Amino acid sequence: MYKAILVDDEPLARQLIKSLLASRDQIEIVAECGDGFEGFKAIQEHQPDLVILDIQMPRLSGFEMLELLDHYPSVIFTTAFDEYALKAFEAHAIDYLLKPVTRKRFDQAIEKWLRQAGKQENPGLEELIRENVTEGYQRRVVVKDNGLIRIIPADEIHYIEASDDYVRIVTAGGQYLKKSTLSRIGESLDPRQFVRVHRSFIVPVSQLLRIEPYEKESHIAKLQCGVTVTVSKSGMMKLKTLLGW
Amino acid sequence: MSFRDIGVGQELQFQAITDIALSLSLLLLLAWSVLLVIRTYPTRVGVQFYALALAIAAAVLFTLADYYLLNRVFPEDSFYTSWIAGSMGIRFLLSVLSLGWIATVYAMRQKLEQVESDFRLQADAASLLREAELFKLRQQLQPHFLYNSLNAINALIFTEPEKAQEMTGKLSEFLRSSVKRESGEMIPLAEELAHMETYLAIEEVRFGDRLIIRQEQNDTEGALIPPFLLQPLLENAVKFGLYGKEGTVAIDLQIRLEDGMLTIRVTNPYDPASLAPSGTGFGLEGIRRRLFLLFARTDLLEARQEDRLFTTTLKIPQQYV
Repeated sequence: MYKAILVDDEPLARQLIKSLLASRDQIEIVAECGDGFEGFKAIQEHQPDLVILDIQMPRLSGFEMLELLDHYPSVIFTTAFDEYALKAFEAHAIDYLLKPVTRKRFDQAIEKWLRQAGKQENPGLEELIRENVTEGYQRRVVVKDNGLIRIIPADEIHYIEASDDYVRIVTAGGQYLKKSTLSRIGESLDPRQFVRVHRSFIVPVSQLLRIEPYEKESHIAKLQCGVTVTVSKSGMMKLKTLLGW
Repeated sequence: MSFRDIGVGQELQFQAITDIALSLSLLLLLAWSVLLVIRTYPTRVGVQFYALALAIAAAVLFTLADYYLLNRVFPEDSFYTSWIAGSMGIRFLLSVLSLGWIATVYAMRQKLEQVESDFRLQADAASLLREAELFKLRQQLQPHFLYNSLNAINALIFTEPEKAQEMTGKLSEFLRSSVKRESGEMIPLAEELAHMETYLAIEEVRFGDRLIIRQEQNDTEGALIPPFLLQPLLENAVKFGLYGKEGTVAIDLQIRLEDGMLTIRVTNPYDPASLAPSGTGFGLEGIRRRLFLLFARTDLLEARQEDRLFTTTLKIPQQYV
């Protein structure tokens, strides 16, 4: 018996999947979730074999939810229309269902999943999540905070620091660790606002108070929050180009 | 007929007229050639210099040809030929001036035309680009709603076939009125509101009695609105308003005409802990971008959140009100 979780903000869309799965005894729906927050909780609680996941949901998108998980489950994505995501799915050979979901297409996807259900690896999905799957830049960062999900608006970030396998996101309200790399998070944020000033730091331009020379060929930047970060030679170049010095 | 046969006074008069006719025709011929050259071989840089150089060359040609021709026409060693020899300098100067003036004016006018047509071309390209982007933005709004509605119908077919039929009917109605709509930039507000009715009818099937729309309107007769702007606004309100809540949810729609602006205020309850994810489908970015393309203003859409209420205010400048 396989455990499945449905995540979709529309009750009727979940109902449709339920109806389509009704004839299959080997798959049991253990939870139905209306958003990424519930989905996140349910996935951790049930450790499902399969998640049928909608991408566009209010509050937390399907991708943002996956990003926060330590172990990725098998996922079949559903989406109404999202050119950007579809391209990403094709690129990583990930199965997805277009809405309206038809019986034929749904059965195909399930059969395919059942054939592969034995092996837990999912390299395509991991790559996909590591990439930026949404169009444009993110105006927020989603983090885990004591098992809860916290959404940090990009404007509230004071700076981001690399910390081993994690990045430390520092805001007025506290600091949060997220399993990611500086380059990955840097790519998702608006480059006109956020600058990688150093191997270990990303700083929003609006936070800069002043920059002073420091040792040979490097600088330090004083931030409005009172913290001082190192600015490398190339970081200084980036700042100069961006700010037009 | 020989010049000798005529009296000296008459002879001189005749010679002067011949001179004028000959020289003027020659000058006209050269002026015409200069204009032809400028037109056939236009230059993009140094227009004035180019015209002047051509004029001087033509003037030199004119002077030489004039001298040669007049000497051929008039008998040698006559009084007139000697006068001609003395007047060559002034003839050259006059031809430089007249040809130079004609050539420069012509070249400048051509340049101006060129600049104007370039400008027009660029303006055309820019407006085409703008049209294309507007079209794309408008297209983006529809598919989400359509595919999601079809998906809902699919679900209802299993459980409540009658409701599925009802929704199919309403969706067709919505589509029909979408297709029928003018593609113009501005349409009457009443038309857009009628379209919204068909949209909300679909949402009502989907959400049943949970959705209450309260509409308030002061005299907005004659108000215009770009098509397909209101629906994503309402769709957002419905999604976020109904989201994660039990029981009925009221969405307020307030429409007024104030200070030459059509102001539409949509208020829906909302959970302050949530924040719309960026990316396609949600968010007001598409609407904002369209407003910018249509009115070149960025202050026409405003979103505010307070007391668990989310208010979006859309302003449409009314040109003729």
